[in-house]
Amino acid sequence: MNAQLENPPETAVLELPPEVVKLAIKDLSFFYGQKQALFDVSVSFAANAVTALIGPSGCGKSTLLRVLNRMYSLYPGQRAQGQVLLDGEDMLSPRVDVATLRARVGMVFQKPTPFPMSIFDNVAYGVKLYEKLSKADMANRVEDSLRRAALWDEVKDKLKESGLSLSGGQQQRLCVARGIAVKPEVLLLDEPASALDPISTARLEETIAELKRDYTIVIVTHNMGQAARLSDHTGFMYLGKLIEFGETEQLFTNPVTTRARDYITGRFG
Amino acid sequence: MTAVGAPRLSRRIGEGVFLTFCWLATGIAILALAAILWSLLTQGIGGLDLNIFTKSTPAPGSEGGLLNAILGSLMMCTVAMIGAVVIGVLAGTWLSEFARDSHYGKVIRFLNDVLLSAPSILIGLFIYEVLVHPLGGFSGFAGSVALALIAAPVITRTTEDVLRLQPIALREASVALGAPVWSTILTVIWKAAQGGMLTGALLAFARISGETAPLLFTALNNQFLSLDMTKPTANLPVVIFNFALSAYDDWRRLAWAGALLIAATVLTVTIVARILAREPRRS
Amino acid sequence: MDHTLKAVDVDLGSLSHAVAAMGDLAVAQVRAAVDVFVRHDLPAAEKVVRADNAVDLQDIEIERNAVRFIALRQPMADDLRRPIAAMKIAMQLERCGDLAKNIAKRVPRLDTAPSEVQSASIAELGRMASERLAAVINAYRNDDAQGAYNVWLKDTDIDERHEGVVREIVAGMAAEPDSVGDSIHLLFIAKNLERIGDHATNIAELVHYQITGTDLSNRPKL
Repeated sequence: MNAQLENPPETAVLELPPEVVKLAIKDLSFFYGQKQALFDVSVSFAANAVTALIGPSGCGKSTLLRVLNRMYSLYPGQRAQGQVLLDGEDMLSPRVDVATLRARVGMVFQKPTPFPMSIFDNVAYGVKLYEKLSKADMANRVEDSLRRAALWDEVKDKLKESGLSLSGGQQQRLCVARGIAVKPEVLLLDEPASALDPISTARLEETIAELKRDYTIVIVTHNMGQAARLSDHTGFMYLGKLIEFGETEQLFTNPVTTRARDYITGRFG
Repeated sequence: MTAVGAPRLSRRIGEGVFLTFCWLATGIAILALAAILWSLLTQGIGGLDLNIFTKSTPAPGSEGGLLNAILGSLMMCTVAMIGAVVIGVLAGTWLSEFARDSHYGKVIRFLNDVLLSAPSILIGLFIYEVLVHPLGGFSGFAGSVALALIAAPVITRTTEDVLRLQPIALREASVALGAPVWSTILTVIWKAAQGGMLTGALLAFARISGETAPLLFTALNNQFLSLDMTKPTANLPVVIFNFALSAYDDWRRLAWAGALLIAATVLTVTIVARILAREPRRS
Repeated sequence: MDHTLKAVDVDLGSLSHAVAAMGDLAVAQVRAAVDVFVRHDLPAAEKVVRADNAVDLQDIEIERNAVRFIALRQPMADDLRRPIAAMKIAMQLERCGDLAKNIAKRVPRLDTAPSEVQSASIAELGRMASERLAAVINAYRNDDAQGAYNVWLKDTDIDERHEGVVREIVAGMAAEPDSVGDSIHLLFIAKNLERIGDHATNIAELVHYQITGTDLSNRPKL
């Protein structure tokens, strides 16, 4: 008989074998001033795979994501304790240059934010910060990025037009192209489709599904269907703690913890 | 019993009365504006001819124009705007990007608002005490400084407001790519806000182009054409002030013409600012 | 905890209710079929045959509602296991209904009424089959994984009894060659009852899966 029927555990976090781990978090706590938002979170993200973070509003999933590229350093009063290991090296250490980290770990935000410049310049913006490319090389880089973001065919004749002239879904894919143009290793997506209509969402999801061949992707979403569709691993967070983490199939067909099961099946209390 | 859906009679009367008062108030305001513009047009158009732009202010009784005054105003406003834009944009940027919540920022913002509404005559007096009296003479530069002091708070305020309107995600998106903060501000934030910032500058220019009181204590006036700003400099507002109250017909004519010129300039600049402030259309 | 969207709980409740009702009907059919055999009551047997229509209709209705639930509610985890288990259990119950109908159909085809011994044996087999089925339907009704497990464990009891009954009937065929025709019907009837027992075991596995999400493996077999 099943012992887990009687006493389901409070938390259940799957340990990934070290050879597939690209990015790992160890005992991470996070504070907004005096208020603690993350409590000793430890989880690892597999390389060339999509990991989704789900949970109710305020559970800390976006906070966790923003620690991964040290976005919090923009705001005094926000601090992190613990380790973020990229290929084994702690990125939170003061010895690591924040700009270099952000070149390796890119981010796409919830609201599409094209820069007020041409589509070409948008994609080239990040590249120009780090590399000196010839005109031909830059053009190739821009085209390659736009192709990977499934936007090339729609904009190849209007690269000089403003990024703001695109539709919402196109703008978001432009932001994806911009993010991957600098050739990061990890891509962080913070609810990237929440401002998009179903068709744009589907196109963006297809883009993400293809990108995972070359990047490690972490996506925060409040849409469980999206997490189920896209991700290989899913983590469920609640009130700043990681409650359950495992293979997506396992979490959505037979979650181990009661909290995760309640959230996934719509028992919000 | 009235039908369901039709408002009661008392409500309809109340609404009618309220709307009538609104229309009345609007009508009075428009009437006043129309009256001013009409008198400017009728009185000023008579004095407008090519001489305005080719000859300097005349002695009473002789022919002349407003060339020196126009040039002087342009010079002083230009110099003033250069100073005001530099200070205003940088201050507004600092307030928006680095001092949104700090106490120091709140104090600066408050002081800026005070300066914004300070009577311009006080500023003129201040510059008189600080620049004119010690250096021993009126000058166009002193006038520029006074005008700059009037324009800078306007630019600071509009710059800060328009920068604050930019979504935080825009800054974060740039930073997330690894861009340093200064580069983010210059190439992304300023660019996104450039319409608003230009509007602010144009509005400041429209404001100072008609200021008279400060110039009375600083630049004074000059009867002749001169490009030397270290000496008293001719300018339109003071010329109008002097000529309008005089007993001579041709002087009064020139005053009206000058007033019409200023009004036309301000109107044009404001319209241009409005056009620029419109959002770019999405394809 | 209840679902925040109450309609989900309502849908799940009516689905479970429908499956339990179909189970009760199937159990009644099995008992009725054995009863009409023992009493050799031809008109009653006709009624049992016709009553199978109701069982088939319930199967169709349950499947339709389960598919609707899946399409409209996009269920996950245990919410998904419920409609899937409901459909599969309904299918098992429909098979049980067919087997009971088959027993009732053979009653008029018997040349002679069954002997005391034969009646007793078949009745006992029938009792074991219907009790297993009733027990597992109760386990389903009460979300009782332990109850389902108990039914699943005792799978071999009815198989052994079936072996015994078959030996009896074969011995009877050898003793009285004229009764071969009837004996063959008896063999089929016994076999049907043993298969009903198997279906009860299948249902027990499905109930356990619905509740726990894991399969019962290594089914006890002779």
